Amino acid sequence: MITIEQLTKRRGSHNILNGISFKAKPGRVTGFLGPNGAGKSSALRILLGLDRATSGTALVNGVPYVQLTDPLTTVGAVFDGSGAHRLRTGRAHLNWIVRSAGLPRSRVNEVLEMVGLAHAASKRVGRYSLGMARRLGLAAALLGDPEILILDEPTNGLDPEGIRWLRTFLRERAASGRTVLLSSHLMGETAETVDDIVILNKGHIVASGTLTDIVGSHKTLEDAFFAFTARRDIS
Amino acid sequence: MKNALAAELSKLLSLPAIWIAVAVGILVAPAIAVIRSFQELFEIEKSVQTAVEYPIGFEELGFGVMGVIIVGVIAISSEYFTESEESGGGRQLTTSLTANPSRIRFLMSKASAVATVSAILAIIAIALTLVAVRIILAEHAPELGIADISRFIGVVCYWVLTALMAFGITILTRHAALPMAVLLLNTSVVSVTYLLTRVTPLANYLPDMAGIRMFVEIKDAGSPLTPIWGGVVMAAWVTALLSIGTVTFCRRDL
Repeated sequence: MITIEQLTKRRGSHNILNGISFKAKPGRVTGFLGPNGAGKSSALRILLGLDRATSGTALVNGVPYVQLTDPLTTVGAVFDGSGAHRLRTGRAHLNWIVRSAGLPRSRVNEVLEMVGLAHAASKRVGRYSLGMARRLGLAAALLGDPEILILDEPTNGLDPEGIRWLRTFLRERAASGRTVLLSSHLMGETAETVDDIVILNKGHIVASGTLTDIVGSHKTLEDAFFAFTARRDIS
Repeated sequence: MKNALAAELSKLLSLPAIWIAVAVGILVAPAIAVIRSFQELFEIEKSVQTAVEYPIGFEELGFGVMGVIIVGVIAISSEYFTESEESGGGRQLTTSLTANPSRIRFLMSKASAVATVSAILAIIAIALTLVAVRIILAEHAPELGIADISRFIGVVCYWVLTALMAFGITILTRHAALPMAVLLLNTSVVSVTYLLTRVTPLANYLPDMAGIRMFVEIKDAGSPLTPIWGGVVMAAWVTALLSIGTVTFCRRDL
């Protein structure tokens, strides 16, 4: 379970997040939507202890991420690119992560197979395409077979086959009782993947609820999204 | 902590640049020692002098420290190295801190990995340098005694502390260019810190000038420090730098 409570992030005189609160529950895929610059990545980075909150809390299973005893078996996170040094091979990148978490070495081959990157494991990451880099990032997140997945714009750079694979994969994770939180600005793709939705605009949550609640009387999630974000713009 | 150290060693040893560091670390000092040994041998054979008049091998080990400067710098700068735009522009540091979220433990395990690699490189460099001197100069090589053991320990300490100093500076700069340029130039082309001893004796308290006293006495620098105090002064500099680096690193957003 992910719990964000009254989270505020101020940079200079500008509030990136204005006291946002929401939950991502086990057994559900939660979509964290918003236009570019809405504050989605900042919220996720605070959740993982990468950035500091000005006030409020962001907790994983009731504790801050930095206090988790086994972070990699609790949470798998995917941010920009692969998160690997470009002169390292994909396999070497996964190897050091496995060592840091004390996981069995066999997990490296398992996740490489899982994300379809086994053939490129010995290539330097700098020679990967964007799609391959994202797959490596996902492979790293899956090493600990975590109960929670946090993905920042996971479909960026993936080809249609990759997007479809990811959708099925995330649905299966949620079906097995795990928590999935993903940020996105792609409405069509998100609508097919998520159960719950949180819409963020200019650092404020403008709507949250189940997919059905959010779409409501609108024709599509996209229509609902623009209705909610426009409302905030006008006010 | 054991896992974190194993991960940091694995990271360091799987970077291509580490092999440049290893090559510089273990070859520079023996190479300079070989050249100087031949010069000394030539002088002895010409009967200009009868023995080597300085502790050949030790001064050269002061130059080999360039290898561990590279180790200290890349251990941190590689974390901030940005992926190409086509690959999404990410950085390894994000992965590192999700795997090891305690920033203090992260830096401690990284510093331990740097210290371990640097100590091993120092020991290999000492062995190669001494063997080279002994092979070339044979019976003209200076005798080694019990007193030299503390000098060898001094070399290892100097290498480890220099690597940690490079590490500490790079925590603050995040990028390799500045610490690499300043520290490598000061060690190789022109030692600004040594030149400063001509201006003020206080320059003997700068980290490298103090630290090198652990195994060499630079006569014209007129250092007031004993080998032990040289080590203490250098260690104090390094502790201060690492403390500032740690506080800064723990407080900043990535």
